[in-house]
Amino acid sequence: MDDALILVEDLCRHYVVGGETVRALDGVSFAIERGEWVAIIGQSGSGKSTLMNLIGCLDTPTSGSYRLNGADVQGLADDALADLRNKEIGFVFQTFQLLPRATALANVELPLVYRGMSRRERRARAEAALAAVGLTNRMHHRPNELSGGQRQRVAIARALVGEPSLLLADEPTGNLDTATGEEIIRLFDDLHRRGHTIVLVTHEPRLAARCPRAIRLTDGRVVGDGPGAEVATLGAARAVHG
Amino acid sequence: MTALLDTITMALGTLRANVLRSVLTLLGIVIGASTVVAMMSLTEGFRLKLTSDFAALGAGAFQVQKWPALQFGPHDHRKYERRPDLTREQGEALRELPHVAYVSIEEWARRPESLSTRERATKQSISVCGGLPDYERANGVDIALGRFISHTDVQLGRRVIVIGADVQDTLFPGQDPLGQEVRVRGVPFEVIGVAERQGSILGESKDAWAVVPWTAYERALGKVRNNNIAVVATTPDDAPRALEEVVAKLRRVRGLAPQEENDFEIFSNDTSAQLFDNLAKMVGAATFGVCALALLVGGIGVMNIMLVSVTERTREIGIRMALGARRRRILSQFLVESVVLSALGGLVGVLLGAGLALGANAIWQVPASIPAWAVIVSLASAGGAGLLFGIYPAARASKLDPVEAMRTE
Ligand SMILES: Nc1ncnc2c1ncn2[C@@H]1O[C@H](COP(=O)(O)OP(=O)(O)OP(=O)(O)O)[C@@H](O)[C@H]1O
Ligand SMILES: [Mg+2]
Repeated sequence: MDDALILVEDLCRHYVVGGETVRALDGVSFAIERGEWVAIIGQSGSGKSTLMNLIGCLDTPTSGSYRLNGADVQGLADDALADLRNKEIGFVFQTFQLLPRATALANVELPLVYRGMSRRERRARAEAALAAVGLTNRMHHRPNELSGGQRQRVAIARALVGEPSLLLADEPTGNLDTATGEEIIRLFDDLHRRGHTIVLVTHEPRLAARCPRAIRLTDGRVVGDGPGAEVATLGAARAVHG
Repeated sequence: MTALLDTITMALGTLRANVLRSVLTLLGIVIGASTVVAMMSLTEGFRLKLTSDFAALGAGAFQVQKWPALQFGPHDHRKYERRPDLTREQGEALRELPHVAYVSIEEWARRPESLSTRERATKQSISVCGGLPDYERANGVDIALGRFISHTDVQLGRRVIVIGADVQDTLFPGQDPLGQEVRVRGVPFEVIGVAERQGSILGESKDAWAVVPWTAYERALGKVRNNNIAVVATTPDDAPRALEEVVAKLRRVRGLAPQEENDFEIFSNDTSAQLFDNLAKMVGAATFGVCALALLVGGIGVMNIMLVSVTERTREIGIRMALGARRRRILSQFLVESVVLSALGGLVGVLLGAGLALGANAIWQVPASIPAWAVIVSLASAGGAGLLFGIYPAARASKLDPVEAMRTE
């Protein structure tokens, strides 16, 4: 298991709110190999986004260990983490997290800006990424001039533009109609086929069922881990597959 | 390079999004920068004017007066008033000094006059002097037409007049003025000479004058008891010696005891430069004070607005960090924003200050000249204030936690 891309062991993330401890993640362990496509499924508040932030090197666990690509993330300096997020990880946040005053194009260019890419090149790449999500005719719109689904697609284009080896998508189809959602999933499928690793958070069993593997969270614990089709229908089952 | 350009573009973008707020914030900086530029432009203008005024004195020349030429700071007007007048006899006594070549004793009316012919009149702006032949040398006058006043003119008290180029322009446009009649306070004088044009310095003409023999002046226009005395040394190198001799002689004839200070003022190129430097230093210090205060106020304004900006854009900062911006990059983004904001304020201030100085020059003929260094100093100190007061907000932005930052509304 040493060559796993993501290796989390007994990961905990606790929040102390008003003297009370919220165990958002409570001893989570799993490994994800390079090139896998894994769905994280669970009810609202089960800790999916918290887990994504940890995997994405945005947050630090209360306890437990997280190794990314064999390196202990807790041992990395701030700058190294920033570079890691910039080059290796593509985020689709649950709440999009677009810059409100920037156009769709500028939003998508942002990761490339921090990569120090030339203006011309990053513009070309951002345009291509927006075209891939079908937004060629909305490139110069600001987020508040876009529909929810369009914003979500901008967020996806931004996550993909840097061709990250690890794509973390938190409910990427939550605001999309079936047809558009389907297109996005096909996009992911294509990425997966080309060898990218994808972690996709969803609360839809139907979507999780289509993933080769799914991990089910309940109250910050892993309660199911196996082929997507099985785990998706598991409901609140207790069985834990290895 | 791309990074710096990106950072600056970003900074300009956010400033454009908040134009009104930016402008209000920058008031302090604008005031600071415009004060420096306006004050320094006026000081520089006065310096140039004085330099040229005294250059007209000619080499090796200096002037003796009862009144100081420039008075500044708290001064005792009565102290100068109580001084005995400089008399003609005292002036004449200087002629025997070994290193003195010319002594021009001059009676100047307190107010400028209007000169007229039957057809035309000048504005009330012509300085009329009762003088001696030595006036010509002591004041660097060149005669263009006719001749200057002679000893005979003075002895006989002839009503003759030598006019500056402005008087010629106004009273005798395109005509030969020699032999014509010019009236001063209704008294007719015959034009015997016209001086070569000396031009104007910073909007003030050097040709608005006329000289008549002092004898005729006293008879026709009344006696001015206090005289100005211009002295020319035998050679420019002898000027310091001539000056010493003049001071010693005047102290003697004016009966000063050894411990008493001079009861007259001497102006040479050197003393005027000194005098002016003192004035310039005081103006400079006052300007510096105003400026430092304005920059402090402006800087605090900038800090405040940057803190507001960091708070408002917390989510944006979180997003940038999540997408791979290093903390340093966030720091520099906010620092550059702060510097650009302040430097823009400085630029507006420079333009405003230059406008004020040039406006004062155009409206009131106050001399003004905008020194390049004042512009540079203003911009640099405005930018510097932005840098200094931007550090704290920028540091705050760069220390945010990305997850927390992205959760804020
Ligand atoms: N910053 C925080 N401070 C306090 N509690 C938090 C914080 N972030 C998350 N939590 C808590 O941690 C738990 C897990 O939250 P998380 O956002 O991971 O849920 P989720 O599975 O993503 O839910 P959803 O499907 O609604 O997005 C929740 O109970 C939430 O209240
Ligand atoms: Mg969530």
